[in-house]
Amino acid sequence: MEYVSPEGLRLDGRRPMEMRQIRAEIGAVSKADGSAVFEMGNTKVIAAVYGPRQVQNKSQQMNDQALVRCEYSMANFSTGDRMRKPKGDRRSTEISLVIRQTMEACILTHLMPHSQIDIFVQVLQADGGTRSACINAATLALADAGIPMRDLVTSCSAGYLNSTPLLDLNYVEDSAGGADVTLGILPKLDKVTLLQMDSKLPIDILENVMQLAIEGCKAVANYIREILLENTKQLEYRRGV
Amino acid sequence: MVGLSLGEQHFIQGGIAQDLRCDGRKRLAYRPISVETGVIPQANGSARVRMGATDVIASVKAELGKPSLLQPNKGKVSIYIDCSSTAEPAFEGRGGDELSAELSTALQRCLLGGKSGAGAGIDLSSLVVIDGKICWDLYIDGLVVSSDGNLLDALGAAIKAALSNTGIPRVHVAAGASSDEKPELDVSDEEFLQFDTSSVPVIITLTKVGKHYIVDATSEEESQMSSAVSISVNRQRSICGITKRGGAGLDPSIILDMISVAQHVSEQLINKLDSEIASAEAGDDES
Amino acid sequence: MRGIDLAALSKTQKLRLEKALEELESLSSKVNSDASVTIADSIAVNHEDAILKGHGTADLNGEVVATLCGIVERVNKLIYVRGLRSRYKPEVGDIVIGRVVEVVQKRWKVEINYSQDAILMLSSMNMPDGVQRRRTAMDELNMRSIFEEKDVVCAEVRGFQHDGLHLQARSQKYGKLKGGQLLTVPPYLVKRQKQHFHHLEEYGFDLILGCNGFIWVGEHIEAKDDMVEDQVNQSEPQVLLPNKNATNLEEQEKNYTELETRKYICRAANAVRVLSTLGFNITLEIIKGIIELSLSLNLDIHEMLSSEFCVVVAEKEAERRKSNKRRR
Repeated sequence: MEYVSPEGLRLDGRRPMEMRQIRAEIGAVSKADGSAVFEMGNTKVIAAVYGPRQVQNKSQQMNDQALVRCEYSMANFSTGDRMRKPKGDRRSTEISLVIRQTMEACILTHLMPHSQIDIFVQVLQADGGTRSACINAATLALADAGIPMRDLVTSCSAGYLNSTPLLDLNYVEDSAGGADVTLGILPKLDKVTLLQMDSKLPIDILENVMQLAIEGCKAVANYIREILLENTKQLEYRRGV
Repeated sequence: MVGLSLGEQHFIQGGIAQDLRCDGRKRLAYRPISVETGVIPQANGSARVRMGATDVIASVKAELGKPSLLQPNKGKVSIYIDCSSTAEPAFEGRGGDELSAELSTALQRCLLGGKSGAGAGIDLSSLVVIDGKICWDLYIDGLVVSSDGNLLDALGAAIKAALSNTGIPRVHVAAGASSDEKPELDVSDEEFLQFDTSSVPVIITLTKVGKHYIVDATSEEESQMSSAVSISVNRQRSICGITKRGGAGLDPSIILDMISVAQHVSEQLINKLDSEIASAEAGDDES
Repeated sequence: MRGIDLAALSKTQKLRLEKALEELESLSSKVNSDASVTIADSIAVNHEDAILKGHGTADLNGEVVATLCGIVERVNKLIYVRGLRSRYKPEVGDIVIGRVVEVVQKRWKVEINYSQDAILMLSSMNMPDGVQRRRTAMDELNMRSIFEEKDVVCAEVRGFQHDGLHLQARSQKYGKLKGGQLLTVPPYLVKRQKQHFHHLEEYGFDLILGCNGFIWVGEHIEAKDDMVEDQVNQSEPQVLLPNKNATNLEEQEKNYTELETRKYICRAANAVRVLSTLGFNITLEIIKGIIELSLSLNLDIHEMLSSEFCVVVAEKEAERRKSNKRRR
């Protein structure tokens, strides 16, 4: 199947290096300490952060750092074909773990000993790149909860189809069988914190694809930074002195 | 989930007795309701309903299936509710399962009628494409995004709104297919059938606290309930289903009293919802 | 937009709200400068001066970067980022309201919206009989007669110790709160002030603005004088029955909060709710202003939570801040 037309357009009309439209909104769940909605094209996720709060299970308490927990779940209506999956299947467990590890690496956990931070991500619509969208939403929610972090983490995926590197794969491209690289970076520190790839790819091409994904992450980071700055300004002027 | 001190409990109970609740509402008043439709583009129909801090999403997906042998001339509808852990950390893992199951069955009871499908709020026979062979299966999924009491009514309202938002593709059956062959179907991408949602009931939960009962309880008020009765009422003021929850016993005469109150309240709620849905749909078309 | 359900607003309401918020933005002093930072933004410093890095900052290859979203504050050599939305950050002497979650040996654990539960020792608590003395084993057994689990209590932050954050309640004004409602708002909306306890005589209720974002609105309770208390209670047995509440409940059935007072309590509570959704600073004057506004508009109490009132409050607040600025 042809995923990139001779004119260099993808199935949804994007150019190979073009990202889908991204949109973020802070403060979606009123009761949570921090929350955000993040959309990449048709992919839409909600993240809510509770904490830092007293550790619920005393045996998990750590005296030198905060306990970070994460749960990922997909709504039944989130995929094109309706599916009915119980919570906590292997895929969700794996994604929960990935998100937790990625976020834990950038939270300054040593500042909040004896406490726990819960991150809940809920996929409302899945159209490829849910992992990336979840991480971006979680970053926003953590920042909204006022949790100190080393850096923002942002994530984006890239793939390789029809011998063209493609940025930000949607579901159709993702399931095409080509390589799918999900990357997470710390934009300020300029470091990669998350890298996952399936299927095979020659090393020199991997480099290109990775570079493309990094560009995507940076674009997301700029957008997230803008949203956060706007939100901070708004909170400040609304509060008044 | 909600822990209140005796002093606060007493204050809430007193407020209900005096017909002035903590947020200033009377016993039979609702919180502000807002409706958004078409929030899940991938679904055939969807809606998001907010009542105060309670926030739920309902989606309707239609798939072609086979009618059951017992009711060859009716489509199938299933309702499933999920409580997201974003709403409450306690819903993490299997924590929300019990509540999800309770809500799902209560909604099925209130909206779908009996086993035979008789008395359902949704006209099941309109879902049939070919008698006994092909019908539409409707999957209604609800998701609780944020919870502050009265989830059942909010979900009921969201489902009603989602159904009004639902367009089911028109199916053309190729003529001449003989009865034993698999008929050829042409599912249209452009023509959609709208649902008649005028008969879909709304759910009104009356929560009994002390001697009185209230509508649209917040989770703090729900923590004080002795029992609650959920009554689904349609536009014709007929009762489509009743569920009683909570441990305390109720005098049968009180239940009858509650039903008549619910019938009265339903009229306002249906009108309010219909106007909200209409304005949401209008806003939807614009954008 | 944070906190405000835009879907519930009509078009004109949206425009009015936008206009009011724009006005607020133009009135704010700090916003237009580059004081707002987000995580990992570098903060400009003059490296020749010695600087002290405070909260919300970190060092990255010699550069000062923010670890929070907030406003950069500079006090002499100290540079820190003042965060906005977050959990409560305790400071010694703060008046806080909390909920007892656990009664353990010699101490109560209190949830105060901090990253851990705070500790209130039996020994940092004035005994109900008002006598200063060593706490006996008997007192320890009767701790539940003072505070039980789930009780709402008011106390002062005493300080950090090796086992966590300690509270104290060494005055009659602190202690258990009843006959009212507890509201929670983001702590950054409550400013530290001289006075956090307010008795609104004209309306007949008490308002306590906890620094941790827990706000209590309840029936007025006369603060008892320590000395008088002493004399009265001396003859009484010191042991309070733990089930005192249970017997009282029956009686209380008849003496619920008076309807008149309750109306004002609910009005004040809704005023706090509106301010919290709009993200406006919460002080006694502003709450009073909203109560008066709602009375002058002849609004029912529940109408204060409608989107229309929300817009009206935003407009009034813009006006108020404008006139404040002019006066200065």
